[in-house]
Amino acid sequence: MVIPPRYSNRPVIRFQHVWKTYPNGTDALRNICLEVSEGDFLFLVGASGAGKSSLVRLLIREEKPTRGRLMVHGQELRSLRRRHLPHFRRKVGLVFQDFKLLPRMTVHENVAFALQTLGESRQVIAHQVGAALETVGLAGRERSYPSELSGGEQQRVAIARALVHEPRLFVADEPTGNLDPATAWEIIQIFMHINAAGVTVVMATHNREIVDRMRRRVVAIDRGQIIRDDPYGKYHEAPPAAVLRLQ
Amino acid sequence: MKLLRQLFFAFSSAWQNFWRNLAVNVAAVVSIALILILAGTSLLLGHALGQVLDTYRHRVSVLSISIADKTPLTSVYDFEGQLRARQDVVSVRFVTKDEELKSFASDPRNQQLIEQIEGNPVPAKIEVSVAHLDDVKRIDALARHWRGVDRTDPTDYQGDFITNMLRLSTWLTIGGLGMLAVLTLASVVIVMNTIRTAVYHRREEIELMKLVGATEWFVRGPFMVEGVMTGVIAASLALGLLLAAYRPFVDRFRAELFFLPLSYDPRFVHVLAQDLLVGGAALGALGSYVGVRRFVKL
Repeated sequence: MVIPPRYSNRPVIRFQHVWKTYPNGTDALRNICLEVSEGDFLFLVGASGAGKSSLVRLLIREEKPTRGRLMVHGQELRSLRRRHLPHFRRKVGLVFQDFKLLPRMTVHENVAFALQTLGESRQVIAHQVGAALETVGLAGRERSYPSELSGGEQQRVAIARALVHEPRLFVADEPTGNLDPATAWEIIQIFMHINAAGVTVVMATHNREIVDRMRRRVVAIDRGQIIRDDPYGKYHEAPPAAVLRLQ
Repeated sequence: MKLLRQLFFAFSSAWQNFWRNLAVNVAAVVSIALILILAGTSLLLGHALGQVLDTYRHRVSVLSISIADKTPLTSVYDFEGQLRARQDVVSVRFVTKDEELKSFASDPRNQQLIEQIEGNPVPAKIEVSVAHLDDVKRIDALARHWRGVDRTDPTDYQGDFITNMLRLSTWLTIGGLGMLAVLTLASVVIVMNTIRTAVYHRREEIELMKLVGATEWFVRGPFMVEGVMTGVIAASLALGLLLAAYRPFVDRFRAELFFLPLSYDPRFVHVLAQDLLVGGAALGALGSYVGVRRFVKL
Protein backbone atom coordinates (compact mmCIF):
# COMPACT_ATOMS: atom_id res chain seq x y z
CA MET A 1 0.00 0.00 0.00
CA VAL A 2 1.47 3.37 -1.02
CA ILE A 3 -0.27 6.49 0.17
CA PRO A 4 0.44 9.48 -2.10
CA PRO A 5 2.30 12.25 -0.28
CA ARG A 6 0.22 15.21 0.78
CA TYR A 7 1.83 18.63 0.67
CA SER A 8 0.21 21.73 2.03
CA ASN A 9 1.69 25.18 2.01
CA ARG A 10 2.03 25.50 5.77
CA PRO A 11 5.60 24.73 6.80
CA VAL A 12 5.84 22.74 10.03
CA ILE A 13 9.64 22.78 10.04
CA ARG A 14 11.87 25.50 8.62
CA PHE A 15 15.67 25.43 8.80
CA GLN A 16 17.22 28.72 7.69
CA HIS A 17 21.00 28.57 7.33
CA VAL A 18 21.35 26.43 10.42
CA TRP A 19 24.75 25.46 11.72
CA LYS A 20 25.56 23.14 14.58
CA THR A 21 29.11 23.24 15.89
CA TYR A 22 30.07 21.11 18.88
CA PRO A 23 32.40 22.42 21.60
CA ASN A 24 35.32 20.42 20.10
CA GLY A 25 34.97 22.49 16.92
CA THR A 26 33.28 19.83 14.75
CA ASP A 27 30.64 21.20 12.40
CA ALA A 28 27.90 18.56 12.61
CA LEU A 29 25.52 20.60 10.43
CA ARG A 30 26.56 23.24 7.93
CA ASN A 31 24.25 25.83 6.51
CA ILE A 32 21.12 23.68 6.49
CA CYS A 33 18.15 25.16 4.63
CA LEU A 34 15.09 22.95 4.63
CA GLU A 35 11.31 23.30 4.75
CA VAL A 36 8.92 20.53 5.67
CA SER A 37 5.24 21.15 5.07
CA GLU A 38 2.30 19.87 7.04
CA GLY A 39 1.47 16.28 6.16
CA ASP A 40 4.88 15.64 4.56
CA PHE A 41 6.59 12.27 4.91
CA LEU A 42 10.30 12.90 4.76
CA PHE A 43 13.17 10.43 4.82
CA LEU A 44 16.45 11.75 6.09
CA VAL A 45 19.22 9.61 4.66
CA GLY A 46 22.98 9.58 4.84
CA ALA A 47 25.95 7.61 6.09
CA SER A 48 26.75 7.27 9.78
CA GLY A 49 28.14 10.52 11.12
CA ALA A 50 26.63 12.52 8.23
CA GLY A 51 24.59 14.64 10.61
CA LYS A 52 21.14 12.98 10.63
CA SER A 53 21.02 12.48 14.37
CA SER A 54 22.28 16.02 15.01
CA LEU A 55 19.45 17.31 12.85
CA VAL A 56 16.94 15.17 14.78
CA ARG A 57 18.33 16.43 18.09
CA LEU A 58 17.85 20.00 16.93
CA LEU A 59 14.29 19.21 15.85
CA ILE A 60 13.31 18.00 19.30
CA ARG A 61 15.35 20.76 20.92
CA GLU A 62 17.69 18.40 22.72
CA GLU A 63 20.31 20.75 21.36
CA LYS A 64 20.29 24.31 20.10
CA PRO A 65 21.55 25.48 16.70
CA THR A 66 24.85 27.35 16.88
CA ARG A 67 23.80 29.70 14.07
CA GLY A 68 20.74 30.27 11.91
CA ARG A 69 17.01 30.03 12.54
CA LEU A 70 15.05 26.86 13.18
CA MET A 71 11.27 27.13 13.34
CA VAL A 72 9.05 24.19 14.34
CA HIS A 73 5.28 24.73 14.62
CA GLY A 74 5.99 28.43 14.26
CA GLN A 75 8.31 28.51 17.29
CA GLU A 76 11.92 29.58 16.95
CA LEU A 77 13.84 26.89 18.82
CA ARG A 78 17.11 28.70 19.48
CA SER A 79 15.38 31.33 21.57
CA LEU A 80 12.72 29.00 23.02
CA ARG A 81 12.69 29.47 26.78
CA ARG A 82 13.23 26.46 29.04
CA ARG A 83 9.84 26.85 30.63
CA HIS A 84 8.15 26.59 27.21
CA LEU A 85 10.08 23.50 26.19
CA PRO A 86 7.66 20.94 27.72
CA HIS A 87 4.75 22.49 25.81
CA PHE A 88 6.77 22.32 22.59
CA ARG A 89 7.73 18.67 23.13
CA ARG A 90 4.09 17.71 23.69
CA LYS A 91 3.47 18.61 20.05
CA VAL A 92 6.16 16.23 18.81
CA GLY A 93 6.03 12.42 18.84
CA LEU A 94 9.44 10.79 19.23
CA VAL A 95 10.52 7.28 18.26
CA PHE A 96 14.04 5.94 18.73
CA GLN A 97 16.04 3.03 17.37
CA ASP A 98 16.43 1.49 20.85
CA PHE A 99 12.69 1.93 21.70
CA LYS A 100 13.47 3.52 25.10
CA LEU A 101 10.78 1.57 26.96
CA LEU A 102 10.83 1.36 30.74
CA PRO A 103 11.39 -2.31 31.60
CA ARG A 104 9.63 -2.14 34.99
CA MET A 105 6.41 -0.92 33.42
CA THR A 106 3.79 -2.83 31.48
CA VAL A 107 2.83 -1.90 27.92
CA HIS A 108 -0.13 0.08 29.25
CA GLU A 109 2.02 1.90 31.82
CA ASN A 110 4.70 2.72 29.26
CA VAL A 111 2.16 4.37 26.99
CA ALA A 112 0.15 5.95 29.82
CA PHE A 113 3.34 7.46 31.22
CA ALA A 114 3.35 10.14 28.50
CA LEU A 115 -0.13 11.25 29.54
CA GLN A 116 0.54 11.07 33.28
CA THR A 117 3.25 13.67 32.85
CA LEU A 118 0.56 15.95 31.42
CA GLY A 119 -1.71 15.35 34.42
CA GLU A 120 -4.51 13.71 32.43
CA SER A 121 -7.35 11.93 34.24
CA ARG A 122 -7.53 8.13 34.49
CA GLN A 123 -10.50 8.00 32.13
CA VAL A 124 -8.72 10.05 29.47
CA ILE A 125 -5.56 7.97 29.91
CA ALA A 126 -7.44 4.66 29.63
CA HIS A 127 -9.29 5.80 26.52
CA GLN A 128 -6.29 7.26 24.70
CA VAL A 129 -3.92 4.44 25.60
CA GLY A 130 -6.48 1.93 24.30
CA ALA A 131 -6.85 3.85 21.04
CA ALA A 132 -3.08 4.22 20.55
CA LEU A 133 -2.45 0.52 21.19
CA GLU A 134 -5.19 -0.36 18.74
CA THR A 135 -3.61 1.87 16.08
CA VAL A 136 -0.30 0.02 16.42
CA GLY A 137 -2.00 -3.38 16.57
CA LEU A 138 -1.22 -4.20 20.19
CA ALA A 139 -4.73 -4.28 21.68
CA GLY A 140 -4.82 -7.07 24.25
CA ARG A 141 -1.12 -6.83 25.16
CA GLU A 142 -1.58 -4.08 27.76
CA ARG A 143 -0.37 -6.17 30.68
CA SER A 144 2.74 -7.52 29.02
CA TYR A 145 6.18 -6.26 29.98
CA PRO A 146 8.67 -5.12 27.32
CA SER A 147 10.84 -8.20 27.96
CA GLU A 148 7.90 -10.38 26.89
CA LEU A 149 7.62 -8.65 23.50
CA SER A 150 9.51 -9.02 20.23
CA GLY A 151 11.59 -6.14 18.85
CA GLY A 152 8.83 -5.14 16.45
CA GLU A 153 6.24 -5.19 19.21
CA GLN A 154 8.47 -3.08 21.44
CA GLN A 155 8.82 -0.52 18.65
CA ARG A 156 5.02 -0.51 18.28
CA VAL A 157 4.71 0.31 21.99
CA ALA A 158 7.17 3.15 21.50
CA ILE A 159 5.10 4.43 18.57
CA ALA A 160 1.92 4.19 20.65
CA ARG A 161 3.62 6.22 23.39
CA ALA A 162 4.63 8.87 20.85
CA LEU A 163 1.14 8.84 19.37
CA VAL A 164 -0.90 8.93 22.55
CA HIS A 165 -0.84 12.69 23.05
CA GLU A 166 -1.84 13.25 19.43
CA PRO A 167 1.19 15.17 18.15
CA ARG A 168 1.13 16.93 14.77
CA LEU A 169 4.76 16.04 14.07
CA PHE A 170 6.43 12.65 14.31
CA VAL A 171 10.22 12.43 14.48
CA ALA A 172 11.79 8.98 14.24
CA ASP A 173 15.52 8.31 14.53
CA GLU A 174 16.35 4.98 12.84
CA PRO A 175 13.10 3.34 14.02
CA THR A 176 13.77 0.19 11.97
CA GLY A 177 17.48 -0.03 12.73
CA ASN A 178 17.11 -2.95 15.15
CA LEU A 179 14.42 -4.84 13.21
CA ASP A 180 14.39 -7.53 10.51
CA PRO A 181 13.11 -6.44 7.05
CA ALA A 182 9.59 -7.86 7.46
CA THR A 183 9.09 -6.24 10.87
CA ALA A 184 10.64 -3.01 9.63
CA TRP A 185 8.09 -2.90 6.83
CA GLU A 186 5.25 -3.44 9.34
CA ILE A 187 6.55 -0.48 11.35
CA ILE A 188 6.69 1.66 8.22
CA GLN A 189 3.06 0.75 7.49
CA ILE A 190 2.13 2.20 10.89
CA PHE A 191 4.00 5.41 10.11
CA MET A 192 2.19 5.66 6.78
CA HIS A 193 -1.11 5.18 8.56
CA ILE A 194 -0.23 8.00 10.96
CA ASN A 195 0.90 10.20 8.07
CA ALA A 196 -2.36 9.53 6.22
CA ALA A 197 -4.13 11.23 9.12
CA GLY A 198 -2.23 14.44 8.27
CA VAL A 199 0.62 14.06 10.75
CA THR A 200 4.02 15.20 9.45
CA VAL A 201 6.64 12.46 9.67
CA VAL A 202 10.41 12.97 9.62
CA MET A 203 12.34 9.72 9.67
CA ALA A 204 16.12 9.37 9.76
CA THR A 205 17.00 5.99 8.30
CA HIS A 206 19.64 3.76 6.74
CA ASN A 207 17.06 1.40 5.26
CA ARG A 208 17.60 1.68 1.50
CA GLU A 209 14.90 -0.90 0.67
CA ILE A 210 12.16 0.97 2.49
CA VAL A 211 13.12 4.37 1.11
CA ASP A 212 13.24 3.06 -2.46
CA ARG A 213 9.92 1.27 -2.07
CA MET A 214 8.07 4.21 -0.52
CA ARG A 215 9.10 6.87 -3.07
CA ARG A 216 8.54 9.75 -0.67
CA ARG A 217 10.51 12.91 -0.17
CA VAL A 218 14.16 12.13 0.49
CA VAL A 219 16.67 14.56 1.96
CA ALA A 220 20.21 13.27 1.80
CA ILE A 221 22.88 14.62 4.14
CA ASP A 222 26.62 14.25 3.82
CA ARG A 223 29.19 15.74 6.17
CA GLY A 224 26.64 18.07 7.69
CA GLN A 225 25.25 19.43 4.43
CA ILE A 226 22.11 18.69 2.44
CA ILE A 227 23.30 17.25 -0.85
CA ARG A 228 19.93 16.24 -2.28
CA ASP A 229 16.25 17.03 -1.68
CA ASP A 230 14.07 14.88 -3.91
CA PRO A 231 10.24 14.91 -3.53
CA TYR A 232 9.85 11.34 -4.83
CA GLY A 233 13.33 10.16 -4.15
CA LYS A 234 15.29 7.01 -3.79
CA TYR A 235 18.02 6.14 -1.33
CA HIS A 236 21.39 7.01 -2.75
CA GLU A 237 24.44 7.06 -0.61
CA ALA A 238 26.39 10.29 -0.95
CA PRO A 239 29.14 9.89 -3.55
CA PRO A 240 32.62 9.38 -2.15
CA ALA A 241 34.48 12.49 -1.09
CA ALA A 242 36.97 12.13 -3.96
CA VAL A 243 34.14 12.26 -6.51
CA LEU A 244 32.65 15.33 -4.81
CA ARG A 245 36.01 17.08 -5.03
CA LEU A 246 36.20 16.32 -8.76
CA GLN A 247 32.70 17.76 -9.25
CA MET B 1 -7.54 19.25 39.03
CA LYS B 2 -4.49 18.59 36.85
CA LEU B 3 -2.29 19.94 39.62
CA LEU B 4 -3.91 17.57 42.12
CA ARG B 5 -3.35 14.64 39.78
CA GLN B 6 0.28 15.65 39.32
CA LEU B 7 0.67 15.93 43.10
CA PHE B 8 -0.88 12.49 43.50
CA PHE B 9 1.57 11.18 40.89
CA ALA B 10 4.49 12.76 42.79
CA PHE B 11 3.40 11.18 46.09
CA SER B 12 2.60 7.73 44.70
CA SER B 13 5.79 7.70 42.65
CA ALA B 14 7.84 8.80 45.68
CA TRP B 15 6.23 6.10 47.84
CA GLN B 16 6.95 3.39 45.23
CA ASN B 17 10.52 4.55 44.77
CA PHE B 18 11.15 4.74 48.49
CA TRP B 19 10.37 1.02 48.81
CA ARG B 20 12.02 0.14 45.50
CA ASN B 21 15.31 1.71 46.66
CA LEU B 22 14.84 0.58 50.26
CA ALA B 23 18.48 -0.27 50.96
CA VAL B 24 19.75 3.13 49.81
CA ASN B 25 16.95 4.93 51.63
CA VAL B 26 17.47 3.03 54.89
CA ALA B 27 21.15 3.98 54.74
CA ALA B 28 20.14 7.61 54.21
CA VAL B 29 17.59 7.49 57.06
CA VAL B 30 20.20 6.08 59.46
CA SER B 31 22.85 8.62 58.40
CA ILE B 32 20.48 11.58 58.68
CA ALA B 33 19.06 10.26 61.96
CA LEU B 34 22.60 10.10 63.41
CA ILE B 35 23.25 13.67 62.34
CA LEU B 36 19.90 14.81 63.72
CA ILE B 37 20.68 13.03 67.00
CA LEU B 38 23.87 15.05 67.18
CA ALA B 39 21.96 18.23 66.30
CA GLY B 40 19.21 17.36 68.82
CA THR B 41 21.80 16.59 71.50
CA SER B 42 23.45 19.94 70.91
CA LEU B 43 20.03 21.62 71.12
CA LEU B 44 19.24 19.80 74.38
CA LEU B 45 22.63 20.61 75.87
CA GLY B 46 22.25 24.20 74.71
CA HIS B 47 18.85 24.38 76.34
CA ALA B 48 20.12 22.83 79.57
CA LEU B 49 23.04 25.23 79.71
CA GLY B 50 20.65 28.01 78.84
CA GLN B 51 18.47 27.02 81.79
CA VAL B 52 21.47 27.09 84.14
CA LEU B 53 22.70 30.38 82.71
CA ASP B 54 19.22 31.91 82.89
CA THR B 55 18.95 31.06 86.56
CA TYR B 56 22.33 32.64 87.28
CA ARG B 57 21.58 35.53 84.97
CA HIS B 58 18.35 36.19 86.82
CA ARG B 59 20.18 36.10 90.12
CA VAL B 60 22.92 38.50 89.09
CA SER B 61 20.69 40.84 87.11
CA VAL B 62 19.19 41.96 90.44
CA LEU B 63 21.65 44.25 92.18
CA SER B 64 21.22 44.65 95.90
CA ILE B 65 22.31 48.05 97.26
CA SER B 66 22.85 48.23 101.04
CA ILE B 67 21.67 51.43 102.71
CA ALA B 68 23.60 52.99 105.60
CA ASP B 69 21.56 52.92 108.80
CA LYS B 70 21.31 56.68 109.31
CA THR B 71 20.29 57.57 105.79
CA PRO B 72 17.09 59.69 105.77
CA LEU B 73 14.09 58.07 104.10
CA THR B 74 13.67 61.06 101.77
CA SER B 75 17.17 60.48 100.39
CA VAL B 76 16.32 56.80 99.81
CA TYR B 77 13.11 57.75 97.97
CA ASP B 78 15.00 60.31 95.86
CA PHE B 79 17.58 57.74 94.84
CA GLU B 80 14.82 55.20 94.20
CA GLY B 81 13.11 57.74 91.89
CA GLN B 82 16.40 58.45 90.13
CA LEU B 83 16.85 54.71 89.45
CA ARG B 84 13.27 54.23 88.25
CA ALA B 85 13.73 57.01 85.69
CA ARG B 86 16.54 55.08 83.96
CA GLN B 87 15.81 53.05 80.83
CA ASP B 88 18.22 50.27 81.78
CA VAL B 89 16.33 49.60 85.00
CA VAL B 90 13.36 47.24 84.92
CA SER B 91 12.20 47.52 88.54
CA VAL B 92 13.25 48.94 91.89
CA ARG B 93 12.20 47.60 95.27
CA PHE B 94 12.90 49.05 98.68
CA VAL B 95 13.43 46.40 101.37
CA THR B 96 13.22 47.67 104.95
CA LYS B 97 15.58 46.47 107.71
CA ASP B 98 12.78 44.36 109.22
CA GLU B 99 11.93 42.70 105.92
CA GLU B 100 15.59 42.00 105.28
CA LEU B 101 16.02 40.48 108.74
CA LYS B 102 12.95 38.32 108.21
CA SER B 103 14.34 37.14 104.92
CA PHE B 104 17.74 36.50 106.51
CA ALA B 105 16.15 34.54 109.35
CA SER B 106 14.06 32.41 106.98
CA ASP B 107 17.23 30.74 105.67
CA PRO B 108 17.85 27.65 107.86
CA ARG B 109 21.61 28.13 107.48
CA ASN B 110 21.35 31.44 109.43
CA GLN B 111 19.38 30.04 112.41
CA GLN B 112 22.33 29.77 114.74
CA LEU B 113 23.52 33.27 113.91
CA ILE B 114 20.08 34.76 114.47
CA GLU B 115 19.92 33.24 117.95
CA GLN B 116 23.26 34.84 118.87
CA ILE B 117 22.67 38.41 117.70
CA GLU B 118 20.73 41.20 119.39
CA GLY B 119 18.81 43.95 117.58
CA ASN B 120 18.84 44.17 113.81
CA PRO B 121 22.33 44.32 112.31
CA VAL B 122 21.26 43.82 108.67
CA PRO B 123 20.95 46.96 106.52
CA ALA B 124 17.88 48.05 104.54
CA LYS B 125 18.30 47.51 100.84
CA ILE B 126 17.29 48.68 97.40
CA GLU B 127 16.93 45.82 94.94
CA VAL B 128 17.39 46.97 91.36
CA SER B 129 16.48 44.67 88.50
CA VAL B 130 18.25 45.60 85.23
CA ALA B 131 17.32 44.93 81.62
CA HIS B 132 20.68 43.51 80.50
CA LEU B 133 23.54 41.94 82.41
CA ASP B 134 26.03 44.49 81.17
CA ASP B 135 23.87 47.25 82.74
CA VAL B 136 24.64 45.96 86.24
CA LYS B 137 28.09 47.52 86.21
CA ARG B 138 26.71 51.01 85.56
CA ILE B 139 24.10 50.77 88.31
CA ASP B 140 26.76 49.48 90.70
CA ALA B 141 28.98 52.50 89.91
CA LEU B 142 26.01 54.84 90.42
CA ALA B 143 25.14 53.23 93.75
CA ARG B 144 28.70 53.48 95.04
CA HIS B 145 28.60 57.25 94.41
CA TRP B 146 25.35 57.69 96.32
CA ARG B 147 25.78 59.24 99.74
CA GLY B 148 23.28 56.90 101.44
CA VAL B 149 25.08 53.68 100.53
CA ASP B 150 26.52 51.47 103.26
CA ARG B 151 30.27 51.97 102.79
CA THR B 152 31.27 48.66 104.43
CA ASP B 153 29.37 46.49 101.98
CA PRO B 154 27.85 48.78 99.27
CA THR B 155 26.45 46.22 96.78
CA ASP B 156 26.48 42.52 95.98
CA TYR B 157 27.93 43.15 92.48
CA GLN B 158 30.04 40.22 91.17
CA GLY B 159 31.85 41.77 88.23
CA ASP B 160 34.05 38.82 87.21
CA PHE B 161 31.22 36.35 87.41
CA ILE B 162 29.06 38.45 85.10
CA THR B 163 31.91 39.02 82.65
CA ASN B 164 32.66 35.30 82.56
CA MET B 165 29.03 34.44 82.15
CA LEU B 166 28.62 36.84 79.25
CA ARG B 167 31.73 35.43 77.62
CA LEU B 168 30.57 31.85 78.11
CA SER B 169 27.15 32.68 76.71
CA THR B 170 28.69 34.24 73.58
CA TRP B 171 31.04 31.30 72.98
CA LEU B 172 28.25 28.81 73.50
CA THR B 173 26.09 30.61 70.95
CA ILE B 174 28.95 30.75 68.41
CA GLY B 175 29.89 27.10 69.04
CA GLY B 176 26.27 25.97 68.76
CA LEU B 177 25.74 27.83 65.51
CA GLY B 178 29.02 26.47 64.09
CA MET B 179 28.10 22.92 65.00
CA LEU B 180 24.62 23.33 63.55
CA ALA B 181 26.10 24.65 60.29
CA VAL B 182 28.47 21.67 60.00
CA LEU B 183 25.68 19.19 60.74
CA THR B 184 23.35 20.88 58.25
CA LEU B 185 25.98 20.72 55.53
CA ALA B 186 26.70 17.05 56.27
CA SER B 187 22.99 16.16 56.10
CA VAL B 188 22.50 17.99 52.83
CA VAL B 189 25.48 16.16 51.30
CA ILE B 190 24.15 12.78 52.50
CA VAL B 191 20.62 13.35 51.21
CA MET B 192 21.98 14.81 47.99
CA ASN B 193 24.12 11.73 47.32
CA THR B 194 21.33 9.33 48.23
CA ILE B 195 18.89 11.03 45.91
CA ARG B 196 21.55 11.27 43.22
CA THR B 197 22.02 7.48 43.43
CA ALA B 198 18.25 6.99 43.09
CA VAL B 199 18.16 9.46 40.20
CA TYR B 200 21.02 7.69 38.47
CA HIS B 201 19.09 4.41 38.58
CA ARG B 202 16.12 6.19 37.01
CA ARG B 203 17.94 8.39 34.51
CA GLU B 204 16.28 6.72 31.50
CA GLU B 205 12.85 7.34 32.98
CA ILE B 206 13.77 10.96 33.64
CA GLU B 207 15.11 11.35 30.12
CA LEU B 208 11.86 9.99 28.75
CA MET B 209 9.76 12.19 31.02
CA LYS B 210 11.56 15.21 29.62
CA LEU B 211 11.20 14.04 26.02
CA VAL B 212 7.44 13.48 26.31
CA GLY B 213 6.91 16.98 27.67
CA ALA B 214 7.17 16.76 31.46
CA THR B 215 8.07 20.00 33.16
CA GLU B 216 11.15 20.24 35.40
CA TRP B 217 8.98 20.39 38.49
CA PHE B 218 6.98 17.35 37.42
CA VAL B 219 10.21 15.36 37.18
CA ARG B 220 11.60 16.86 40.37
CA GLY B 221 8.39 16.41 42.41
CA PRO B 222 8.67 12.70 43.29
CA PHE B 223 12.33 13.10 44.29
CA MET B 224 11.53 16.08 46.51
CA VAL B 225 8.72 14.13 48.21
CA GLU B 226 11.07 11.17 48.63
CA GLY B 227 13.68 13.45 50.21
CA VAL B 228 11.13 14.94 52.60
CA MET B 229 9.93 11.43 53.52
CA THR B 230 13.50 10.33 54.22
CA GLY B 231 14.14 13.45 56.32
CA VAL B 232 10.93 13.13 58.35
CA ILE B 233 11.46 9.41 59.06
CA ALA B 234 15.04 10.13 60.16
CA ALA B 235 13.86 13.05 62.32
CA SER B 236 11.17 10.88 63.98
CA LEU B 237 13.76 8.22 64.75
CA ALA B 238 16.18 10.78 66.18
CA LEU B 239 13.40 12.45 68.18
CA GLY B 240 12.25 9.14 69.69
CA LEU B 241 15.76 8.28 70.83
CA LEU B 242 16.44 11.76 72.22
CA LEU B 243 13.16 11.87 74.13
CA ALA B 244 13.83 8.44 75.58
CA ALA B 245 17.22 9.67 76.83
CA TYR B 246 16.28 13.21 77.95
CA ARG B 247 14.66 12.57 81.35
CA PRO B 248 17.15 9.88 82.50
CA PHE B 249 19.97 12.25 81.50
CA VAL B 250 18.51 15.13 83.56
CA ASP B 251 17.89 12.84 86.56
CA ARG B 252 21.42 11.50 86.41
CA PHE B 253 22.86 14.99 86.00
CA ARG B 254 20.94 16.33 88.99
CA ALA B 255 22.02 13.39 91.10
CA GLU B 256 25.68 13.97 90.27
CA LEU B 257 25.77 17.80 90.09
CA PHE B 258 22.96 18.81 92.45
CA PHE B 259 24.20 22.40 92.82
CA LEU B 260 23.46 23.17 89.14
CA PRO B 261 19.86 24.32 88.59
CA LEU B 262 19.00 21.90 85.74
CA SER B 263 15.50 20.46 85.33
CA TYR B 264 13.41 18.45 82.85
CA ASP B 265 11.49 20.92 80.69
CA PRO B 266 8.40 19.40 79.02
CA ARG B 267 7.83 22.61 76.99
CA PHE B 268 11.20 22.14 75.32
CA VAL B 269 10.12 18.70 74.08
CA HIS B 270 7.61 20.42 71.74
CA VAL B 271 10.27 22.85 70.55
CA LEU B 272 12.70 19.99 69.94
CA ALA B 273 10.07 17.92 68.08
CA GLN B 274 9.16 20.89 65.91
CA ASP B 275 12.81 21.77 65.20
CA LEU B 276 13.84 18.23 64.32
CA LEU B 277 10.81 17.41 62.14
CA VAL B 278 10.87 20.71 60.27
CA GLY B 279 14.68 20.51 60.04
CA GLY B 280 14.57 16.90 58.77
CA ALA B 281 11.95 17.73 56.14
CA ALA B 282 13.83 20.84 55.03
CA LEU B 283 17.14 18.95 54.83
CA GLY B 284 15.50 16.19 52.80
CA ALA B 285 13.91 18.69 50.42
CA LEU B 286 17.10 20.69 50.03
CA GLY B 287 19.26 17.59 49.50
CA SER B 288 16.84 16.31 46.85
CA TYR B 289 16.66 19.66 45.12
CA VAL B 290 20.43 19.88 44.83
CA GLY B 291 20.89 16.17 44.01
CA VAL B 292 18.35 16.10 41.20
CA ARG B 293 19.08 19.51 39.68
CA ARG B 294 21.61 18.36 37.10
CA PHE B 295 19.43 15.51 35.84
CA VAL B 296 16.14 17.34 35.50
CA LYS B 297 17.45 20.36 33.67
CA LEU B 298 15.73 20.57 30.30
